Amino acid sequence: MSDKPLQDDELFLRLAGETESAPSVDRAPSRVKAKAYSALIRQQEQSGPLLILTETRRAGHGLCVFENLWEKMPLGTSAKCFNCCSVCHARVLGENVESPPIYWGHCPYVAFKKS
Amino acid sequence: MEATPTKPQETPSHSPAASEPSDAQLVLEVLRKDRKATADFVNRHADHVYGYVRRRLFPRTEFADDLVQEVFLAAWANLGKFRGESSLRSWLLGIARHKVEDHYRKRLREVEVPGEEEGPVAEPVDPHNIQEAIEQRQAARKTEEILSSLPEAYSIVLRWRYWEKRGLSEIAQETGRTEKAIERLLARAREQFKRKWNER
Repeated sequence: MSDKPLQDDELFLRLAGETESAPSVDRAPSRVKAKAYSALIRQQEQSGPLLILTETRRAGHGLCVFENLWEKMPLGTSAKCFNCCSVCHARVLGENVESPPIYWGHCPYVAFKKS
Repeated sequence: MEATPTKPQETPSHSPAASEPSDAQLVLEVLRKDRKATADFVNRHADHVYGYVRRRLFPRTEFADDLVQEVFLAAWANLGKFRGESSLRSWLLGIARHKVEDHYRKRLREVEVPGEEEGPVAEPVDPHNIQEAIEQRQAARKTEEILSSLPEAYSIVLRWRYWEKRGLSEIAQETGRTEKAIERLLARAREQFKRKWNER
């Protein structure tokens, strides 16, 4: 070790560097992801409708059981842009419970739990 | 002393799977308001944003959830300006950094600043024990523990100055205080940090 004491600024910059290089294992809780996603979708809706479900499917994304039903119903285009999650209990559970008991496929709130 | 602002460091992570869309593709899909792409966007980046925000707020992590949400909302508001000059993750971490600094600014204005009327601490504390720990790469854990035990104003000013590498004048400007006042606050924070280090 050097006998000469480091100046305070240099000492603390090195301390900061030391903690930055320490491995981090932080993972976002699923409810944090769920809340961020819900807020983001609400924000997107403020500037107009979401992409129609038919287009989302065409882009290669799977739809959840409720979105599938909704998409097959004889509704107008604007109705098919509806955010089904806004009235779904999976969203409420996802936002408030860590690893919520929801299991069906292509639900974002299930995906947040898995990741 | 002034310091050059640096970008937040990316933490190593799992590499994207081959089937995952590129950043540019994902951004396009989110801009089209594809809800599933938006979920992928959050899912792919929330861990990094959360990890960064949490480390910067530690131990007062109760604000982390709200800040993560604010980062994604700000990202949406500016996503059309994303040019792909850096990775989407770096871009998001840049936004996260701004949000953390907004938080520091707000908290430094709200919390009680200990010993504000006093001058700098009179007795300097010997930093040799800290230097030794740095050289042996054993300083990280103790540093976090001590930062957690300091008054909030002290831990904020230390993180802002040394972890975010902001200069005194920048912090002074952001908080509406004089540079001298920030310098005194920082001096007291450093001395208390070193004292606690030597006591443990």
